[in-house]
Amino acid sequence: MSAAETLYPLHNGIGNMVRDFFPESAFYINAVLGLTALIILVSSLASILIYLERKVSGHFQVRLGPMRVGYHGILQPIADGLKLILKEILKPKGADALTFYLAPMFPLTATFLIMAILPYDHHLQLADPAGGVLYVLGISGLTVLGLLLAGWSSNNKLSLLGAIRAAAQMISFEISLALIILMIVMVSGTASLREIVLSQQGLIFDWWIFKLPFLGILAFIMYLVVSTAELNRTPFDLAEAESELTAGFHTEYSGMSFAMFFFAEFVNMFISAALATTFFLGGFHAPLIGISFVDHILNSIPGFIWFFGKTFFIIFIYMWFRWTFPRLRIDQLMSLEWKMMLPVNLILLMMVGVFMVLGWAG
Amino acid sequence: MSDIFIYMLVATLVMLSCFAVGLPNILHSALALIGSFMITAALYISLQIELLALAQIMVYIGGIVVFMLLIILLTTGLGVDDKRRKISFGKWMSSGFIIGLFLTSLLYFFSENDTGLADIITPKALPITIDQIGIRLLSTENGFIVPFEVISLLLLAALVGAVVLARKDVHIKKEES
Repeated sequence: MSAAETLYPLHNGIGNMVRDFFPESAFYINAVLGLTALIILVSSLASILIYLERKVSGHFQVRLGPMRVGYHGILQPIADGLKLILKEILKPKGADALTFYLAPMFPLTATFLIMAILPYDHHLQLADPAGGVLYVLGISGLTVLGLLLAGWSSNNKLSLLGAIRAAAQMISFEISLALIILMIVMVSGTASLREIVLSQQGLIFDWWIFKLPFLGILAFIMYLVVSTAELNRTPFDLAEAESELTAGFHTEYSGMSFAMFFFAEFVNMFISAALATTFFLGGFHAPLIGISFVDHILNSIPGFIWFFGKTFFIIFIYMWFRWTFPRLRIDQLMSLEWKMMLPVNLILLMMVGVFMVLGWAG
Repeated sequence: MSDIFIYMLVATLVMLSCFAVGLPNILHSALALIGSFMITAALYISLQIELLALAQIMVYIGGIVVFMLLIILLTTGLGVDDKRRKISFGKWMSSGFIIGLFLTSLLYFFSENDTGLADIITPKALPITIDQIGIRLLSTENGFIVPFEVISLLLLAALVGAVVLARKDVHIKKEES
């Protein structure tokens, strides 16, 4: 038995079945099974999210979105994927070859690494490190690295400007994100994602969004704003402002290396929504309301359906933002973070501390 | 897990560290540095010091390397002017040969003589959790509360210093207008 098996065991039906049949090599088989599931999940999520984005955008603009490929355009992601695979990957003249081809791998790797520790259900989680929150914050730094390297290695000043803008934005907003997450770690008393979900067990009013009197909702709204900025999505998408910077850091990318950035962006949206679900909306817990008849029905629905339902609801909110708010200027964005978000977050953190001392926080 | 896994990690770490120091292009050195930080974190994980690994990833890869990259990207001429590539091919070959011989002999030595290193360095007790470290850090009895507070004061002073450096001088602005 290795350190990894003792630190992060996989205790679910399939994992235990493998352990019964192959007690010697169960560790390797379980790891391979888990990673395969992860790869299937990430690749299917990316296509589902791209289809959803196009459909939701279409309906917000009173049009139908993709309709031709399959029923209501349901095969459109497959057609898009085929197109991207068949396209040629062009390298600009004078670009640094190693960095140019390496850069798109960083964001995609980061998404895989974070997806591995999300708690999808009671026993549906690849690993549960005790410092899961720290892990999430650290690994998301890889995305910034990828953007910076992509911008520089494209040998194009617009790409470099876009990359530096994106990096500055993501680094700044990561501070606020970390402070909000720290607040949840404070009230739940643990840094492991699974334990944070378990600390919200009970009725719907035991979720952290409702359990902290009015601070929870405030923190949730701030999390939505900050994570939208962290994802470089509209209204904070000035890193890829078409009118000023053509397309930002991925201007020179084509074919699969562009698709890697694109996939990473969409899967990152899922990760942000999933983290919001984990921190505020009770993760895989059903929204019980205290009436035993209704609760019985709600409890019979498996936890991962609740998890994905809540997550896709938050993803819908992100897409809603996109067609509601106009884009900010870079100085407005920076003053929003450093002059508003950061002080408000610090005050919120202090108030939560006071609430905890007074015993009002659950 | 046998020793050989740890030795492979360490050998890659040494190689990447050599690249980080020796490559002619600074950006490639930075990339090698990222790799070496990652492998250091992997080593910590295999020693069951989880918090240190996470701190390594968060502070070095998420913070320091990003700032280093920003600085590198804003400098012109990344040392790609081929001056350092004038070192002859034979010299590269010979140094590579010596390093390869050294690594192979090390690998041979340690795979022949099983030192049980992985058993020695893996703590027999339960791994130390983040909760324990946090409680120890902030407890007044047998804890590290005073160094913790002193460090936070130091960081506050650094922050104030950064603000002072970054803010515009009011007097100069008045004279201009």
